[in-house]
Amino acid sequence: MTATSTAPSATGLGSDRAVRRFEDVRELLPDAENPTPLVRVRRVVPPSAPPLYLKLEWLNPFGSIKDRTAAYLLADLEERGLLDGRELVEPSSGNTAIALAALAALAGTRLTVTIPDGVPEEKQILLRMLGAEVWPTPDDLCPVDNPKDGAIALARSLAASEGGRRYAMPDQYANPANVRAHYETTGPEIWRQTGGEVGTFVAGYGTCGTITGVARFLKEQDPSIRVVAVEPQPGHRLPGLKSFAEASVPEILDEGLIDDVVRVDDGPAYEMTTRLFREEGLMVGPSTGAIVHAAAGLDGRGPVVGVSPDGGTKYASYFAGLLGDEGLPTL
Amino acid sequence: MTDEHSMTLDCSGLLCPLPVYKAGIALGRMGPGETLELICTDPGSLEDIPAMARQRGDDLLSASGDAARQVFVLRKGGGA
Repeated sequence: MTATSTAPSATGLGSDRAVRRFEDVRELLPDAENPTPLVRVRRVVPPSAPPLYLKLEWLNPFGSIKDRTAAYLLADLEERGLLDGRELVEPSSGNTAIALAALAALAGTRLTVTIPDGVPEEKQILLRMLGAEVWPTPDDLCPVDNPKDGAIALARSLAASEGGRRYAMPDQYANPANVRAHYETTGPEIWRQTGGEVGTFVAGYGTCGTITGVARFLKEQDPSIRVVAVEPQPGHRLPGLKSFAEASVPEILDEGLIDDVVRVDDGPAYEMTTRLFREEGLMVGPSTGAIVHAAAGLDGRGPVVGVSPDGGTKYASYFAGLLGDEGLPTL
Repeated sequence: MTDEHSMTLDCSGLLCPLPVYKAGIALGRMGPGETLELICTDPGSLEDIPAMARQRGDDLLSASGDAARQVFVLRKGGGA
């Protein structure tokens, strides 16, 4: 048994990280001793570009980078005494909700998710499988004075209704615990995994917890590290990413930490997603395609570390539309 | 007076845009010409519900009440 193991009990063997045996799935959540992998991508990057490494966040137990966020958000609610008998409500494009739903199920807490337009069916079904209630919400839900981010407005109104007694809202867009998750875990992992040599960090604009938390940590270690944000175009089809031309800027974003913003169209993002599948063997979601497309075009200081927020299996219905009859028998 | 309507939805205590959302779901499940009585207590509903009816193509048959409590009657449009 290692120092991190727990004693065997009458009902189990006890956890032992050395042999990767765990008594509870939550023990798989990442930390400095259990980081998500950092993997080099070579074939989709021009030879002249600095080396690019991807942090494979889809190897987290609930399938995305949002596992970190969800765990910190719930711990924050618990510390503030807001979990006492309340249900949870959260606006999410899917990944935070999936992690919250799994953690809520483990804690015996109900979760309602307000989900914006365009979230693939697969994610909505996974959420319902986890016991969550899913409320599809159009972005233009509010007909009068708040024409965007309907899912956020709806979740906030649920949390405030009934005197605020029924629901607690983790609020990943405004809760500093979202930033802290990445400042305390993702950032230190990248620093350690690159031996302190990371030159550029690339992540998408979404809730902005990842980019703010990681950038803050990395720039504290070395202020010359360049931080690049990836932003989709208005009307995009890249779940998890946000265009601030059409969505509100999250309260937790610290724009002073961002050195450059690269705007990516859907077409190149999906082309890069396909290349990552076919040339790198990486079954990633479309936001990774956008991030890698931006990262592969950067010059300057390497190594470059990009985030791969989630895997591709939750987007099969999107990919089916792209493929048409490609890959089917030819006559 | 509830019996006069195909459905009554009580959104007392719910803040906007919750009544808009719930009314939209209710109307979506109704047939053309059916009527929904909607009870709200958020004064924002006085603007939101008529705007929603226009946006959806439903008819707002009546709106009564004050800032504390509002009652709307909507008839589902033919094309929705």
